[in-house]
Amino acid sequence: MIEQLDALLAQLDALQERALRELEAINSLAELEDWDVRYLGRHRGELKNFSTLIPKLGKAERPVIGQKINAVKEKLESALEARRQELRDRELREALERERLDVTLPGRALPAGHMHPISRTILEVARIFTRMGFQVVQGPEVETDYYNFQALNIPVDHPARDMQDTFWVVPGEILLRTQTSPMQIRVMQATRPPVRVIVPGKVFRHEAIDASHEAMFHQIEGLLVDERCTMADLKGSLARFAREMFGEDRRVRFRGSYFPFTEPSAEVDIDCILCKGSGCRLCKYSGWLEILGSGMVHPRVLREVGYDPRKYRGYAFGMGVERIAMLKYAIGEIRLFSGNDLRFLRQF
Amino acid sequence: MRVPLSWLKEYVEITQSPQELAHTLTMAGLEVETLDYIGADWGDLIITAQITHLEKVPGSDHLSYTRINTGSGEIGVICGAPNIKEGDKVPLALPGARIGDLTIGVARKMGYVSEGMLCSPRELGLGSDHSGIYILDPETPLGVKLADLLSDVVLEFAIKAHRGDLSSIIGIAREVAALTHKPLRLPEPRFNEQGQPAAELVKVTVEDRELCPRYSARVISGVKIGPSPDWMARRLLMAGMRPINLIVDITNYVMLEVGQPLHAFDYDLVREHHIIVRRSRDGEEITTLDGVPRRLRNDMLLITDPQGPTAIAGVMGSAISEVNEGTTRILLESANFKPASIRRTAVALGLRTESSSRFEKGLDPELTIFGANRAAQLMAELAGGQVHPGIVDVYPQPVEARSILFSPAEVEWLTGLKVTSRQVHEALSALEFKVEEVSAAADAAGGEQLLRVTIPTFRGDIEEGADLVEEVLRMIGYDQLPATVPEGPLPEPQGDHWFEREYEIREILIGLGLHEILTYAMTSRQRMLNLLAEVNAQTAQVLLQKPADDGQAGWVIASAQERAGSEDDLASDGRKPFDARSLPAVTIANPLSNELECMRLTLLSGLMETLQENSKRNRAGLRLFEIGRRYLPRGAGELPEERRCAGLALCGPAAISWVPELARPADFYDLKGIVETLLERLHIRRYRFSAAQHPTFHPGRCAVLEVGRPGMDNGERFTPVGFLGEVHPLVQQRYDLPHRAYLCELDLETLYAAVPERLNYAPISRHQELTRDLAVVVDQQVPARAVQEAIERHGGELLRTVALFDVYTGTPIPPGKKSLTYTLLYQARDRTLTDAEANALQERIVAALGEEFGAVLRS
Repeated sequence: MIEQLDALLAQLDALQERALRELEAINSLAELEDWDVRYLGRHRGELKNFSTLIPKLGKAERPVIGQKINAVKEKLESALEARRQELRDRELREALERERLDVTLPGRALPAGHMHPISRTILEVARIFTRMGFQVVQGPEVETDYYNFQALNIPVDHPARDMQDTFWVVPGEILLRTQTSPMQIRVMQATRPPVRVIVPGKVFRHEAIDASHEAMFHQIEGLLVDERCTMADLKGSLARFAREMFGEDRRVRFRGSYFPFTEPSAEVDIDCILCKGSGCRLCKYSGWLEILGSGMVHPRVLREVGYDPRKYRGYAFGMGVERIAMLKYAIGEIRLFSGNDLRFLRQF
Repeated sequence: MRVPLSWLKEYVEITQSPQELAHTLTMAGLEVETLDYIGADWGDLIITAQITHLEKVPGSDHLSYTRINTGSGEIGVICGAPNIKEGDKVPLALPGARIGDLTIGVARKMGYVSEGMLCSPRELGLGSDHSGIYILDPETPLGVKLADLLSDVVLEFAIKAHRGDLSSIIGIAREVAALTHKPLRLPEPRFNEQGQPAAELVKVTVEDRELCPRYSARVISGVKIGPSPDWMARRLLMAGMRPINLIVDITNYVMLEVGQPLHAFDYDLVREHHIIVRRSRDGEEITTLDGVPRRLRNDMLLITDPQGPTAIAGVMGSAISEVNEGTTRILLESANFKPASIRRTAVALGLRTESSSRFEKGLDPELTIFGANRAAQLMAELAGGQVHPGIVDVYPQPVEARSILFSPAEVEWLTGLKVTSRQVHEALSALEFKVEEVSAAADAAGGEQLLRVTIPTFRGDIEEGADLVEEVLRMIGYDQLPATVPEGPLPEPQGDHWFEREYEIREILIGLGLHEILTYAMTSRQRMLNLLAEVNAQTAQVLLQKPADDGQAGWVIASAQERAGSEDDLASDGRKPFDARSLPAVTIANPLSNELECMRLTLLSGLMETLQENSKRNRAGLRLFEIGRRYLPRGAGELPEERRCAGLALCGPAAISWVPELARPADFYDLKGIVETLLERLHIRRYRFSAAQHPTFHPGRCAVLEVGRPGMDNGERFTPVGFLGEVHPLVQQRYDLPHRAYLCELDLETLYAAVPERLNYAPISRHQELTRDLAVVVDQQVPARAVQEAIERHGGELLRTVALFDVYTGTPIPPGKKSLTYTLLYQARDRTLTDAEANALQERIVAALGEEFGAVLRS
């Protein structure tokens, strides 16, 4: 019996050795499954065959063989599991390798559009002033002589009309607005103080078109009227605008000027954004850049809309959007804005 | 206004550098546009010299050969100018000197050696005169650097429209004096008067006293006409005027100096020695000094004699009584004219002169005497004239100096700048305002200090307190203004949200890959008609149509009164050539060009033209949009209707890309998808696209978008918003595009009327969803929208969504048929739906589709 036992044990050792050797050679999960069935199969597996011998053994031998069978089984199972894991890892690695992409190829992007620099500049200016409590309104682009000129203290035959050569629809009556200022009148006629509005929009001038002149361009008008506003407030508001628009260290300079619908009037300069005031080609060696015209609403204009100039004060300003954009983005040629060359537009 | 510094210094002491002076004046509102340094570029090689010998160059019609005394030797110079003679002293540029971009060298010409160049005033930067060589004063020393003798600085001002008083050297000097606290030194015209009194020699009748508030005349006899002295000629040149002859130059000189335009008539050519100031009569004509015959309108003010017009008042004289070589007696006019009249006349004639530009800004009537006397003095001193006693002065209503009661507190009230009464007093006094303190009147609020400010007659621009505040501010300095933040109350919100809405559309379209463009609002009728495949009165109507205002279905044509074309055109078969001019549009009376003759009726022509421009240099496709207005004409004399619109354009692939989907040229469904996404982003859920006809578009590839609005009886009305489609091949041809183009124009006002005012949240059902696919075969012509709507209608409330996921034609689908495959999602809000219920609904839908469209289930 002992010999038989020893023989069985030796057979089991041999089986284990053979199975492990075969397992080493296996290279696919399919072969692995075959191996599993062959050795560890519940019904015909080689190890199972040994188990069926157990009842035929003596009482003393049975546990020995049983333990041996279990040991071999555990050994094979853990080897199988390890091998399976190895193969799975390898297969995954290979699959990942196969799926490698050229990540430097351009993405499947939905092409993005761009906002026109004029729209962008208007939006930026509007945001700055809405933070100061202004509301944005717009008005008609084809206007009457009354709103564009007369109500703004520019009567017929006033030389200030020279400053704004006009496209006429009905000469003397209907025109393409030369400024956004007519909305000052329309807004004040429609409401009572306090008034805080900005008015962006198209304006038109009958001018020969060149690198710095356009027949159609854009302005932003600002108007504030209440019972306490002063020219110092105008300066403070515009200083804040200049800092937000052109940089924190921007300085603002007020100097005397003339507009028929403001009194006193002021031209507003900022220190040159390029040379910081030391003088360069952009600022024509003056150190300063003119950015807008402004002033306190003329008492005649206030009276025209039925506001009592002894009670109400207001300030108004108007800036050219193209000029602001040209300064902000260092654009040297105004015609680019209406040229709509995508090579230009795509930069904004 | 060009002001030579040397001239300015005659009237006020100037201690600042030219730059400092320019800065001081600029800050005070007298903007110095340029500082012109005359002679700065002359260097050492432009010297004074004298012509000692002059001979014509044989074989040339204009060249002369001159021998020139340089002070240290003699050289030869070839010169082409007509005005030189032996003995003239002239500026000579020696070899090596630079004149503008030209470097003078030694030249050989027609057998002569030229060792330099004689210079004209323009070549020296002394003005615009290039008619001849600049002849120097006979007293000029020879061989001296010209820069040592003649260099100067000219300040160029842009004189604002309200300050006629600043159009003179003395006017500027007055400001300099006030700003720098220096006294103003005015010339005091002194001369002897003798002979017959002027009043006996000349008669002045002012018929139109409104347009001519004052007319002053002097008579000077025995004048000798000749060239002006060099100092005067040079000042005129530097100020931008051309010396003509001594008498004319004196009138110009005095105009520049004191600001009073003058006119010198040849006394003997003024018929009957009678000046009559009157308005022109219709049909009258005059040939002005520039040689142009001009037809006058009946409201123009004229200077006439009993036989006819001799000058257009304040604008320009005529040859009839012009000063000439033989003139000995001068009738000197120094008058004041109404600004608006002068301006109207000058604009109407297109004739702007130094004189008219001064009058139209408003001049002081008190200035005429000073101007006349100053000119008389110069004519006596320089032209040997004899000034006849007295001035004939028609001045029926002398101006009175006005005064304003002004509170110094107004300065702080308006500007926030704290000033003392004394500062105000000083500032205004410096500007020659007379300031008196008025003891606080009982009715003055709070007994505040008041000033009675008397305004000098030359300051017609000063009318009320705000004007004086500006004067004070100019004198104290704008840089003294504090900077504060407005502290007043904020206004109520205004109702107009268009600014935000337009930016919302912008952001959405940019997100969808479209570039924003901005084209001219002006265009031409022809450019717009280019959008129509076939142009006739009927097709042209689409340019004028707009959604009905009251949310009604359909389109209306703008401008009911002025339809495109006549009734005849409408009745015709449309083959008759259409006259572009009959298209109603907002017409510009004075367009820059024929291409910009009217306001646009559509954004589409600008988009097509931009596609065309960019396609020349763009291999990738183009995706553009513009947000702007259409200008629809209304009745005559009315402002047009400005409708806010968005125009979209696609042409070619989205990008140059290795990704086939992106490299595919855009098609109709790309454009429609963009519009659908736009609707989705705006939360517009009720809309429909229907096949439509439009003369711009391919007849089989055009849709109209309509949005639903709640109507009466829980019904729904659909309002048109715009067309979209593939551009008709005939239109496409005109723009020479490499790919088919797709256009869309949306009326934003109608679109936004369909945006829900608020969004309502619907609770999400937790009950199970059941999905069923449905593939049906229908005739090709059946619109997908009809099938979809039928499914929705018959699916009822339990059908949550329907999505089309396949459209197929070809085997095994029979010819003329198409297969549409939908996925349907059934769900109840309140319970779990059974398979049986979903199946029953599905069957109902299939049956209905069969009935409505002859649809059969695809097996």
